[in-house]
Amino acid sequence: MRYLIRFLSQGAAGSVEHYDKIVDDPTITIGRATDQVLHLKDKRARLQHARIEARNGDVHISTRALAGVTVNGRSQRDAKLRTGDVIEVGSNILTIIEAPPGFDFAFTFELSPDATSDELTSQFGSLRLSQVAWSKRRLSWALAIIVIVFALIIPASGLLHPTAAGILRNTALLPDDGLWLAGPVHNKHSKSSTQCQHCHTQAFNRVKDVACLECHQTDRHVNSTATEAILGERRCASCHLEHNEPPELVKQHQNLCADCHANLPAGVELAAATDFLKQHPDLQPSLLRPPLANDGDAEWTVQRIALDDPRLIDRSRLKFDHSVHLDAEGLTTPDDRRVLVCTDCHRVETGGARMIPISMDEHCSGCHTLNFDADDPDREVPHGEPEKVLQILIEYYSARLLGDDPQATGQRLRRPGQALTREDRDRVAGEARKKAMAVAQDIFERTTCANCHEVSSTGEGGAAPWRVEAVKLTQEFYPRAVFSHQAHDTEASNCGQCHAAVESQSSADVLMPGIDTCRECHGSAVGRRNHGGQIASTCIMCHRFHTPDKGSYP
Amino acid sequence: MQESIVRYNRYRYLWVALGLCAAAVLAYALQDPQEPPNGGTALGYTLGTLGALLIVWLAWFGVRKRQYSSTAGTVQGWLSAHVYLGLALILVVLLHSGFQFGMNVHTLALVLMILVVLSGIFGVYMYIKYPLRLNENRQGAGRSDLVDQIDDIDRRAKRVAGGLPRGYGELIHSGINRTVVGGSAWAMIAGRDNSQVVLPTGDEYTVVANPGQEAALDWLAEQQSRSMDAETAAKMAELSGLLRNKRKLLERLREDIRLQAMLEVWLYFHVPLSVALLAALVVHIVTVFVYW
Repeated sequence: MRYLIRFLSQGAAGSVEHYDKIVDDPTITIGRATDQVLHLKDKRARLQHARIEARNGDVHISTRALAGVTVNGRSQRDAKLRTGDVIEVGSNILTIIEAPPGFDFAFTFELSPDATSDELTSQFGSLRLSQVAWSKRRLSWALAIIVIVFALIIPASGLLHPTAAGILRNTALLPDDGLWLAGPVHNKHSKSSTQCQHCHTQAFNRVKDVACLECHQTDRHVNSTATEAILGERRCASCHLEHNEPPELVKQHQNLCADCHANLPAGVELAAATDFLKQHPDLQPSLLRPPLANDGDAEWTVQRIALDDPRLIDRSRLKFDHSVHLDAEGLTTPDDRRVLVCTDCHRVETGGARMIPISMDEHCSGCHTLNFDADDPDREVPHGEPEKVLQILIEYYSARLLGDDPQATGQRLRRPGQALTREDRDRVAGEARKKAMAVAQDIFERTTCANCHEVSSTGEGGAAPWRVEAVKLTQEFYPRAVFSHQAHDTEASNCGQCHAAVESQSSADVLMPGIDTCRECHGSAVGRRNHGGQIASTCIMCHRFHTPDKGSYP
Repeated sequence: MQESIVRYNRYRYLWVALGLCAAAVLAYALQDPQEPPNGGTALGYTLGTLGALLIVWLAWFGVRKRQYSSTAGTVQGWLSAHVYLGLALILVVLLHSGFQFGMNVHTLALVLMILVVLSGIFGVYMYIKYPLRLNENRQGAGRSDLVDQIDDIDRRAKRVAGGLPRGYGELIHSGINRTVVGGSAWAMIAGRDNSQVVLPTGDEYTVVANPGQEAALDWLAEQQSRSMDAETAAKMAELSGLLRNKRKLLERLREDIRLQAMLEVWLYFHVPLSVALLAALVVHIVTVFVYW
């Protein structure tokens, strides 16, 4: 096919100029792309908009553009072309003309006279997000200012004056410095203080020890005077951390102790301890030792003795047989026969930390009555000094002899109202004293007192020639450890699991369990319940860190 | 762009980010467990400093991409690093927090950071998926081409309607004037068609919704079925054809607007939230040390 394309354009002074282009191709492609035979500069045209080609001896124009082409004023997708047809594509007009000799097909091409350069302005509104949305810059400023004002400036105004802080904290809608809390305040602290300034005394300064010691200045928690020497540069808050989850004011971790106790300096009489299960010395009960001199005023001392040491003897000076008291058959008491259990005497203090001390009045006197005369079983001597006991006995027998007992007064009858003669009086007093001494000797040396106490005869001619050794029961066998009977099972039937009291026939026996007993339940620090169900046990579970006179923490 | 920021330099910054995460997790696992993990331990301060530096550097991308003359790496490389290190930031900051959260300014910064990263992830997804869809929808034409084609159809429709009774002119003109494209941000993103048209019914005119030019086409079809005159019928048929083509073009234009809006909308969250995060970061650091 040989095509002739005649390009028409407006020349000067209204004349029409033209130039011809000859195309030897089967097809004329029309479009906006630069590879098209007829290149349109109209944005409404597609890259490949339409094509003109011969089909079955006729010439057709066809397009795949949705807008189609307009042939003689009608929009068409495919049209047969005849001479005189006018085709419009956008603002471009093609007019079919008679093909000159030598050409198969010819048309003119011109721009529509009403085509304007701003054809492309749209009837539609905003088509881009940036035309309608807030500018990102404005949004950014707005958010940043909201954050700074509500999270920083308003709460910080409370730092200027306590009144301002109070107003902020008490006004629900205003943000206060509670927004700055990095974590919950520990239960114990939140009760005593809702004011940040109680501990944080100065802005931009770490919490000072003074703030802690204001409340914690008791020896029970910490010896405040010794703390500085021990801790050196450290502050209370270096270890006791607030605002954490889970709240852990007291460090539990093994390394707190094990770092030093793995390798103690020479001269320290402590065995290495790094883990309760793997490396911990055997338990050594602290036993009370009586003063060497038999001097009642001298202090008792404490001695730690290993459980397998033959010197492990309780020197309480009490004669006591656990096996008898715990006899399953029961015991004869003044009232009836009853079976005793451990908790009849050994009871836990409120709080569970210690046992209530054993005393004669509380725990023994129910059965161990201090009567001395079978004829008068309700009369008892006091539990106290031998002199007082003897005095009571003398008075008792004097009264009896001087009273209405004719036997006692030597069968001499008197008239009523007649006083005893001096002679009789002396004789009766002598009788009473003799009787009292006999009874006293019996209870001190053989029965009542001697049942439980170590009594020695002084042999002196004093008023009461006996000496009852003071009983001193050990209250804390393991004073360096914290042990709560309440936390363990304190049912009477369970005491025997740790204390072999049923077999013990002597109060010299130390009935404290050893480390193996503890290790039946308590294991290493690692894990929660490890090694076959053992409880993970760190040093702090039994021991306390703040021991003012011991060691120094690095 | 597209996937090249993901694969940039054989995933170089993916490896950098993974290395950073691995180091942070390892340090976290090995730290001295004498206290609950928190921002105040040695590791806590380290991770916090790292996180703050990362946030500032990530935000600096907004500056760097505008420095056309800068030779400090390519913007493509920066974006790749921005994406991967931004993802790593989540882990660094969570480890810094020791997984302790609360109603406070510290968690505010954390939440803002997570929102920024999430919007960023959305943006990366858009940049990977949407340019391709955009091209498919445009079929080689630009947006203004679509507008011009619609314009062209409108012009021709007016011309055809000119040769028909007055009602047709009203239908075509009102249909053109009341065709709505774009408008509000939501209209762009939802791609809703709120167009209307005035229908001549008897002597009156009624305004009806015209989504997809449906109402106008239905009216034309109805008139067509009544028409006896062949020439009029042909013109009606041409009008219908033009409107159907216009409907297809409008669909593509709306889809083009929707895709373009989706490509841009995440930035309206990513950028302002980033700036808010910078503010919250300052508040976080200052307040931590007010009550030290």
